[in-house]
Amino acid sequence: MTTARTILVTGVGQYWGGRVAAQLVQEQGVRVLGIDATPPPTKIEGLDFIQVDIRNPLLAELLQTEQVEVVCHLAFHESRRRSEADFDLNVMGGMKLFGAAVAAGVQRIIWQSSTSVYGAYASNPAFLPETWPRKGSHQYGHTSYRIELEEFVAGFVRQFSHVAVTTLRFSNVIGPTAETPLSHYLTPKLVPVLLGFNPVLQLIHEDDVVAALTHACLQDTAGVFNVGAADLMPLAKAIHLAQGQEVPILHPLAYWGAASLGRYFPLDLDAIRYRWVGDTAKLTAEFGWQPQYTAEQAMRDFTAAKRTPPATQQARALDEAYLRQVLDKRKAG
Amino acid sequence: MSISIEEEATNPSRHERLVHEIKALVERLQELTPSYVPPAFSPKAVWELFERAAQSLPQEQIQQVVPQLQKMFREDMFDPEFWQGLWFLINYQIEMQVDVIKRRFTGEYEIDEWGYDAEVFEALRPFFDFLYSYWFRVSVTGMENVPDYGRALLVANHSGQLPFDGGMVMMSVLNEHPNQRLVRSLYATWFPTLPFLSTLFEKIGQAMASVENGTRLLQQDELVGVYPEGFKGVGKLYSERYKLARFGRGGFVKMALNTQAPIIPVSVVGAEETYISLYKSETLAKLTGFPYFPISFRFPWLGVLGLIPNPTKWYIDFGEPIPTDHYPLGAADNMVLVSQLTNQTRNIIQEMIDARLATRKSILFG
Repeated sequence: MTTARTILVTGVGQYWGGRVAAQLVQEQGVRVLGIDATPPPTKIEGLDFIQVDIRNPLLAELLQTEQVEVVCHLAFHESRRRSEADFDLNVMGGMKLFGAAVAAGVQRIIWQSSTSVYGAYASNPAFLPETWPRKGSHQYGHTSYRIELEEFVAGFVRQFSHVAVTTLRFSNVIGPTAETPLSHYLTPKLVPVLLGFNPVLQLIHEDDVVAALTHACLQDTAGVFNVGAADLMPLAKAIHLAQGQEVPILHPLAYWGAASLGRYFPLDLDAIRYRWVGDTAKLTAEFGWQPQYTAEQAMRDFTAAKRTPPATQQARALDEAYLRQVLDKRKAG
Repeated sequence: MSISIEEEATNPSRHERLVHEIKALVERLQELTPSYVPPAFSPKAVWELFERAAQSLPQEQIQQVVPQLQKMFREDMFDPEFWQGLWFLINYQIEMQVDVIKRRFTGEYEIDEWGYDAEVFEALRPFFDFLYSYWFRVSVTGMENVPDYGRALLVANHSGQLPFDGGMVMMSVLNEHPNQRLVRSLYATWFPTLPFLSTLFEKIGQAMASVENGTRLLQQDELVGVYPEGFKGVGKLYSERYKLARFGRGGFVKMALNTQAPIIPVSVVGAEETYISLYKSETLAKLTGFPYFPISFRFPWLGVLGLIPNPTKWYIDFGEPIPTDHYPLGAADNMVLVSQLTNQTRNIIQEMIDARLATRKSILFG
């Protein structure tokens, strides 16, 4: 066990941290240390969990004592509204963690960002390269804090070039269990759209997010990568695949409504008006890993999980034929 | 079409061939979709189908079709095999249309990475074909200058208040080129902000104008169309017609040099007169958010009627390609070369326009 490299995963009490930690403990030759302010909702076997917040002043000492080589930073509050508490965790916490990591001699840091940092604009080229300026909207907490941390990380990379930092900018994440801005937007049966606008969406399956983060933890990667499925789909197609019904709204009215309703709507309206698709050429060429799911499979997985009515589930629980099938399989196996 | 039906019906050898062709087609369709079974064949069902089809035809056409049908019935067209084949085909067609509509509502269709949707394009094509063949009666020369395969940059003059010229250049290559290539025109940054038009342009395979997009398309060996005059060109007053405006900042030359794609100058004559812009109102442009607001005899006084283009006769001429593959990579950074090539292209297009105008006798009839 002395040769095993130690990976520290932050935010293991939350969705992404928990899933990535659960994936990493399956891998050979790694020791996984998990930290968060709250313990994981279900215990992760093989995970060395310490209940500590990333803002703890003694974090550098912990990293040093445990001889952590790789930090996978996933502690992040996906909030729509901006609040001082979220800023303190998402931005200040991130800065403190990066600082502690460099003080403790950590070799590599991996963290999760989003292609929403580019922002949705009419003037966007069809494929945004990683070098494109981060002009995303600061209206929503999740995007705003990511942009602020991105700016910090850009400076950090210049200052401490010996630390390999991998920034994964994921496109719209969708899947059966993840709670994301897009999944919130597509969950209702009636989905508001802007009349006459049907931009092309870039999606990524939640399992691919976990796989990409795991790959980055285990392999020697560094740099910024856009991560998205190989295919794209129009917004209308995504809504139809989610078995939703579009409700077109005249766009000046929608903007007025969004302005008066505050952050009630899960997405920035520009995100369903203009195209914001990251160029994944760098991912293909340099990252050494490819998404396993197409955008269409991701949407179908989301729909299968969200649109199975509880009635059919109950009917299935009482179904004799179904249990017979299961029994036969179990007896045979 | 109507003549051919008549001939087919009266000529016995052709009739046999037709029956044979229909049988072969039905067999092929049955092979492709073995599960498809048409509704039961009966004279009543045939009549109902005809009635349904007739409802969607204008009155005049029905008057033309009915005598022909009668003529067909007088001949020996009571061959049941022929009618059964026809029955299968018609039902198949209806089923297919319904299927396409159903699939669109359940999200089962594909787009390419630029948003091009072949089904939407095919649905809109008759409209563009109508404009191309009947409304503007486009005459095309120099199609041999457009390569059969590989990248090329079509550079054209821009005119006519609304970008019909982009659509007609696209249709000319699609209709006249042996490989029926799709031109990927680059449109102004203003269009993505507009409802419907933003979606439409993306669905028919066009892309927003930027050096990044143009370069990527050319790298994918596409045929890219650009209108470097931009709004300065399309919003010209009638008094300034056929005088080329400034050719942008040379972005199109940079795209060509980045990818070593040949530049093909294209002149469009006839588009300038589709709308006669007498004056550009800056106040109304600011109020409406339009990049320019033309005042013509019909617009804005007649509202939507003012948007109908004049049926002018169009000429689209494709000039000889200007090669760029002999310049070294990185030549796009050479500002002198870029402005030189920009001017060269502009001058060639101006000469092509002037040559065409010299032979044109009438705006409406060419």
